[in-house]
Amino acid sequence: MAGRAGSGAGMVEGALWRKWVFFYVPLTFFVVGTLFPFYWMLVTAFRPDGELYRPWRAVNNTPFWTTQPTVEHVLYLFTQTMFATWLWNTMFIAIVSTMISLFCGLLAGYALARLRFPLAGGLGTGIFVTYLVPPTLLFIPLADIIRDFRLGDTPWSLILTYPTFLIPFCTWLMMGYFKTIPKELEECARIDGASRLRAMVQIIFPIATPGILSAGIFAFTLSWNEFIYALVFLSSPQQKTVPVGVVSELIRGDVFFWGPLMAGALLGSIPVALIYSFFVEHYVAGLTGAVKG
Amino acid sequence: MDAESLNRRKFMTISGAAAAAATVGIEGILAARQAPAHAQGTKLHLLRWNDFVPAADEVLLKQMPEASKALGAEVTLERINANDLQARITAAISSGSGPDIIHVLKNWPHLYEKSLADVSDVAEATGKAQGGFYPAMTELCKVGSSWRAVPHAIVGGQIAYRKSLFEEVGAKEFPKTWQQYREVGKKLKAKGYPIGQTAGHTFGDAPVFWYSFMWAWGGKEVEKDARTVAINSKETVESVKFAVGFWKDACDEGGLAWDDSNNNRAFLSGTISATINGASIYVESLRNKEKYKTEKGALMHTDILHAPNPAGPAGVFHLHAPFSHAVMGYSKNQKLAKDFLRWLHGKEQFEAWFVAQKGFSVGSTTDWEKHKMWDLDPVMLPYRTAARAFRLYGYAGPPGRAASEVESKYIITDMYAKAIQGMKPEDSVKWAESELKKIYA
Amino acid sequence: MSRAHPRPIAGGAGGATEAAHLATLPRDATAMGPLARLLEDERVLGFLLLVPTVVLLGLFIAYPFVKGVWLSLTSATVGNPGEFLGLSNYVKIWNDSIFQRAAYNTFVYTAIATVGKLTLGMWLAILLNRHFRGKRLVRASMLLPFIVPTVLSTFAWKWMFDPTFSVLNWSLYHFGFIQTRIGWLTDPVMALGSVILVNIWRGMPFYAITLLAGLQTVNPELHEAAALDGATAWQRFWRITWPLLLPVTMVVTLFSVIQTFADFQLVYVLTGGGPANATHLFATYAYQIGINTGLLGEGAAVSLAMFPILFIIVVIQLWYIRRVEGA
Repeated sequence: MAGRAGSGAGMVEGALWRKWVFFYVPLTFFVVGTLFPFYWMLVTAFRPDGELYRPWRAVNNTPFWTTQPTVEHVLYLFTQTMFATWLWNTMFIAIVSTMISLFCGLLAGYALARLRFPLAGGLGTGIFVTYLVPPTLLFIPLADIIRDFRLGDTPWSLILTYPTFLIPFCTWLMMGYFKTIPKELEECARIDGASRLRAMVQIIFPIATPGILSAGIFAFTLSWNEFIYALVFLSSPQQKTVPVGVVSELIRGDVFFWGPLMAGALLGSIPVALIYSFFVEHYVAGLTGAVKG
Repeated sequence: MDAESLNRRKFMTISGAAAAAATVGIEGILAARQAPAHAQGTKLHLLRWNDFVPAADEVLLKQMPEASKALGAEVTLERINANDLQARITAAISSGSGPDIIHVLKNWPHLYEKSLADVSDVAEATGKAQGGFYPAMTELCKVGSSWRAVPHAIVGGQIAYRKSLFEEVGAKEFPKTWQQYREVGKKLKAKGYPIGQTAGHTFGDAPVFWYSFMWAWGGKEVEKDARTVAINSKETVESVKFAVGFWKDACDEGGLAWDDSNNNRAFLSGTISATINGASIYVESLRNKEKYKTEKGALMHTDILHAPNPAGPAGVFHLHAPFSHAVMGYSKNQKLAKDFLRWLHGKEQFEAWFVAQKGFSVGSTTDWEKHKMWDLDPVMLPYRTAARAFRLYGYAGPPGRAASEVESKYIITDMYAKAIQGMKPEDSVKWAESELKKIYA
Repeated sequence: MSRAHPRPIAGGAGGATEAAHLATLPRDATAMGPLARLLEDERVLGFLLLVPTVVLLGLFIAYPFVKGVWLSLTSATVGNPGEFLGLSNYVKIWNDSIFQRAAYNTFVYTAIATVGKLTLGMWLAILLNRHFRGKRLVRASMLLPFIVPTVLSTFAWKWMFDPTFSVLNWSLYHFGFIQTRIGWLTDPVMALGSVILVNIWRGMPFYAITLLAGLQTVNPELHEAAALDGATAWQRFWRITWPLLLPVTMVVTLFSVIQTFADFQLVYVLTGGGPANATHLFATYAYQIGINTGLLGEGAAVSLAMFPILFIIVVIQLWYIRRVEGA
């Protein structure tokens, strides 16, 4: 169980140098390579502006540390912009649209994976095909729909449109996961007197919990990061989401407010990172199921 | 900057001259001392860019409640990135719903002509009251015989340069011709302080530089008939050849990757000695005096001067960034919107905003050249008359949709960028010609 | 658990198929009301379960999808519906040199980025599959590039590539690797490489964590047996791990390829498609034509130019996954 799968060292003899070369060194490269931009963003968020504009070869250039950290950027972010409001908006929109997508994806995934009915193949393909049209084109006709339903400038304009690209993803993931659960489980339950519906809800769904978690986490992340729909369908500053608000307020013409911008980027990732760290073990287990043939 | 509280008498004097015997509009309402005629709960939504000068946006934000009170409707201002304006406009026009008034830049009145309301009454009255619009603004906002937008302001572009560095290489005055500029630049680059311009795909700076560069040599996109593509000419090829030499001799070669903000940063950090830009570099150095110092330790803002473009064989030309307000055709509050614009563009309101700008944006009429604000800071003086030399996209044809397509596809910019990257000048001009032919076909 | 024999079906209309669907009825089927019996029918239940999805997608994407395709067949501009042109737009863009460049860029971008993400993701997954101190923290932190809002992390990269300020250049210079700066976004080939790099950085965690989950289902005994037989680490990977992971790999790659093909935000922020169209992708070029120039018809055509290719890729992968997953 203790990670025997994978490369190298299960052996004991001569293992130490192998371990270093094949494990610790590459791992360090990955960690450094993946995370150094965040380290840089962190430093920039707390660096006084005067130190920021130092050319790369300037003698006093210290890109990776600062001797005079300041919280003024974070304060600016919270007092001069509506960052807290945007955080709340984005959280609300992401949670609700994730729940809607999970609900639809769960039911649709079960139906497509487990049940035989006419048009199953066609509908399944149809759901998936909608994923192929880019949002950079879709937002234009979607604006018509938003107008017709009078959803403009409300969070519902996003809560109801995000599922259009989240549902195909959730459905596909859940389909894969359901395929790994033995059919016998349902059959036993039904023999014992449960209806199909009850078997589905009370037996299968609980087993699928890890899969649901993983789909939910990915869906949440995609909603959290979305930009173009949020830009076009929301107009009041109080309604905006983090990506749109931060970019609009902190980039004025040809001047970027780098300190608050990076602070916004980091603070805008923390909620999602916290959720991830909480669920990551479950999530990993969840995807195991979605994979098996 | 002084936002006086609303004074009814003043209100009438603002609009009085503009709409002499009018009993309609704000002054009529006020004169009658009646409740405004607009339905209760009407909202007016204005969408603008996030102004580089925060103080000016603050003036506007203060003016919104004043307007709301006067008009009896709720006026809201929404600001987004200039880059994102077109996405909003596209969605709004397509779906027929959205902001009532939108900030239009460049030659968008021509692009969206049919979807914008006719605002001739407001525009002509404002222009007449304030000394007449610059011809370029008229050409941009008046499509055919009707005005599709009311000109608001122009962000002028001038070359910001480091006085001390130029003096060090013997240029006591800013070079008057491109040849001189190149020579000075060569010396500066040798010292480690090149000139900096972008040759990338940027919203503002790239067209501003390269279009005026092409015109300075006598190059043009099309003939007056707006159909014959005229770019493949000896003049254009000469300009491209010069550009390649100029770039290698005098420019920071990272400029190929620059966007609109890079030259600001490079200038303020002391790595380049000159760049054409709006006044944002200088205004930023003033706003945060202690942050930006020269390599000698002086405050950066004391070392900045401005100058117009040098002259090429065909003269001095500029392309500036024009800003106007358009009332959307789908708006249900067009009359209200027009009243609002009449008020906003009126002398008093505009003046408050104009003063806050400190010259970063100039007025769209010649009257504003005479304003006292210009006496405050001699460094900003070149911007006062910048808008007089204002040529437009699509020269020598009209600044219509085809000109927009050329600009948004960065054809002129890329013509130079390709040559700088190694393509033969004749070939890059030929490429531009073939692209233009497709567009103007 | 003893199995009771299913009772013969009482009542009910219909022939053999009906009987087949109701064949494995629970014991007290006859005691169910008509509604419950309806829900037992596989076909009815299947439909009903799809209703929320079909309604939501039908309301919000059916019309836009059709309208999007329709736009590409007309000469529509902003504010003007234009007239039907058939496939003229597609013919026009096919001959457009900038479109050709964008097509080339998009294919190169997607191909290299996908291979990069897959390779690095797989490698990282294998590394993370071991037990070590801080494993949980490292696994969670590896996801950060994926979590950060794309538009914001891309600005950070923009600064890191900045010709004047690049921290990458600083690092390389101080380690003695370079003397003059690297033109990350200045040189056309380098620029395409740089945007691919950022795409790999952002997307690799998705692959890594997903493949990691797959790895955890691979039975370690298989590896031990193979090791005892003398197989090298590489052989073990290629002969055991890779085939077992293939279904996961295909699912993840499918999603990733579709997203990468349609990538917009990254290139738009980093280069706007420059320098001189060296990094233009379908999505950025479509945006430039459709939104900045107002030519909706042509912009739609560029957006949808990817569609047939993506559709074929999807069909192939769907077929493959169905086949691999067995009956």
